[in-house]
Amino acid sequence: MASEKIITTMSGIPLKAVYTPEDVAQINFAEILGTPGSPPYTRGIYPQMYREKQWTIRQFSGFTTPEETNKRLKYEYQMGQTGLSVAFDAVTENGLNSDDPRAQGDIGAGGVPTNSLADMETMFEGLPIDRVNTGVIGNPPASLPLSAMYFAVAEKRGIPWRNLGGTTQNDILLFTVCNTPIDQIPPRALIRLSVDLVEWCAINLPHWNPVSIASYNYRENGINAYQELAFLLANAIAYLEEGLRRNRLTIDQLAPAISFHLAAHNDFFEEIAKFRAARRMWYRLTKERYHAQNPRSQVLRFHVQTAGSTHTYQQPFNNIVRIAYQVLAAALGGAQSIHANSFDEAICLPTEQSVLLSIRTQQIAQFETNVSNVVDPLGGSFHVECLTNEIEERAWDYLKKIENEGGLVTAIESGWVHREWRNAMEEYGRKVASAEYPMVGVNCFQMEEEPYECEVFRPDPHAGSILAGKLEALRRTRDQKVVSAALERLRQASKAGENVMPAVLEAVKALATLGEIIDIWRDLYSIWTPAVVR
Amino acid sequence: MVVGMALRDAGMEVVYGGNQTPKGIVNTAIQEGVDVIGLSVYSAGHMRLISEVIQNLKKERVEDILLVVGGIIPRVDIPVLKEAGVDEVFLPGASPDKIVEFIKKNAGLKGEGK
Repeated sequence: MASEKIITTMSGIPLKAVYTPEDVAQINFAEILGTPGSPPYTRGIYPQMYREKQWTIRQFSGFTTPEETNKRLKYEYQMGQTGLSVAFDAVTENGLNSDDPRAQGDIGAGGVPTNSLADMETMFEGLPIDRVNTGVIGNPPASLPLSAMYFAVAEKRGIPWRNLGGTTQNDILLFTVCNTPIDQIPPRALIRLSVDLVEWCAINLPHWNPVSIASYNYRENGINAYQELAFLLANAIAYLEEGLRRNRLTIDQLAPAISFHLAAHNDFFEEIAKFRAARRMWYRLTKERYHAQNPRSQVLRFHVQTAGSTHTYQQPFNNIVRIAYQVLAAALGGAQSIHANSFDEAICLPTEQSVLLSIRTQQIAQFETNVSNVVDPLGGSFHVECLTNEIEERAWDYLKKIENEGGLVTAIESGWVHREWRNAMEEYGRKVASAEYPMVGVNCFQMEEEPYECEVFRPDPHAGSILAGKLEALRRTRDQKVVSAALERLRQASKAGENVMPAVLEAVKALATLGEIIDIWRDLYSIWTPAVVR
Repeated sequence: MVVGMALRDAGMEVVYGGNQTPKGIVNTAIQEGVDVIGLSVYSAGHMRLISEVIQNLKKERVEDILLVVGGIIPRVDIPVLKEAGVDEVFLPGASPDKIVEFIKKNAGLKGEGK
């Protein structure tokens, strides 16, 4: 007799055919659900959620030059986007100037090159950054000068820092594990610098999120839903621990500064359950381990991005549908802000047309589906409540594994994280190759001829010379004495272990370039080679 | 990575070059005495990067190294790349077995008797 096939979620959680009241009979709902806006926040971080304010539509954008990016940001804003988000090119993300000999071929190709305060000013010209907040999606060490540039732009416009809203990603993970950049400094140095930004913003910019722990990047490499939560928390713990170690700020000053960036992957209910579990876990962590008293410390505020790795190169219009489902999952999971990838993302950067569709996808979810009218509409579902509990349990178990390796920073340095990530990626690849994870158009329903014509966005090959020209002009016109003095002050502050942000701000305002600032840290900390994974 | 594993399983020796400049890639290839260079490209700057690799291969007179490219390459670019000297382009989702097969068939043959 054939035994009943076990069907699981993508992360391997077994699924019954149907869930009944019996499955939730033992659950103490008062304890594990609470009400929206109250501990343990499973149902949402605000009492009214989208009834009061829809999630922010925040499309991550940037390419070619600050001028072109400014045009795109304005277009998106006109089309109804409610938050801004800037993608920097690989060269800028790596903390190199566009004319650095180490920068080759990539300028303006995957994001906007940003070398100085002048570039940041150009990028935000004519945009109401006092009313609309911005995600500065840069990671350490570049996250410090890039944020400083943005803060300096606001200051120049008379916007008080205490009112300025926005986020810097500032997550050490991307360029220590997911990518190997050229000339990166060691993880411990990255944490030091990241937490300098966190600390400084916690005091000076109460509405700025100086870190957005991006488990999204992990997830894109093949790890599953509960591993994603474990890494999310392990990463946050690393920041909190470093912040608390300095003995300058309390948990209730640090924790509210932390925000998050999660993926919305394919398994619809698993993703929704994941978001709910994430909120409950953060509450438990901050309350029980760190004794946070301030409710603002205990609420998981998060941005969601639809999972790029699920979008296919083949039959790209299919991605429109994937993205719509993923946006819906994020909405049902209570995200504060969403980026919907563009359908052509598997092929190129978004065109105006494809990013417009991403914005419309979100607007249709917000205004036509009516899912915003009830808070946590899936709360109480026998299936979703069970799944939320299961994911939480597995996530705590995996977090213990990470902590047994010495915590995230040590686990990155030892190569453990790279190995876990590689194993997950191989398994994911195997499952896609065998069609155990169906991918319509790729391992099933393939077509010899592409049915859809997709306009391909091309980066401008002149971006490199345009940016080199700007740098040349900048160096000619700025006061070199002031720049050198500012960079020297930064070197001293960095060496002395002071919080470097005041010195970074001074350097940025003096028109020091991104590369000049980061080279100081390269000199100080030397170049890191990640543990090689074979 | 998945491709690397498939190549290893098929008995080939794989050297991970890491994130390098085009010149660096070719230098590593020469140092390691490889038969094949496999480039994984995910940034939108692939045309320029790949043409620089080809230029460096020409400069160093090692054009007999098989050059295969994988990653995010718009279909319209494939013929252009092959014209320029890329031996094969593998699109996202390409079966690792097909890649192994191609390399087995073509590595070491380039530049012979043609």
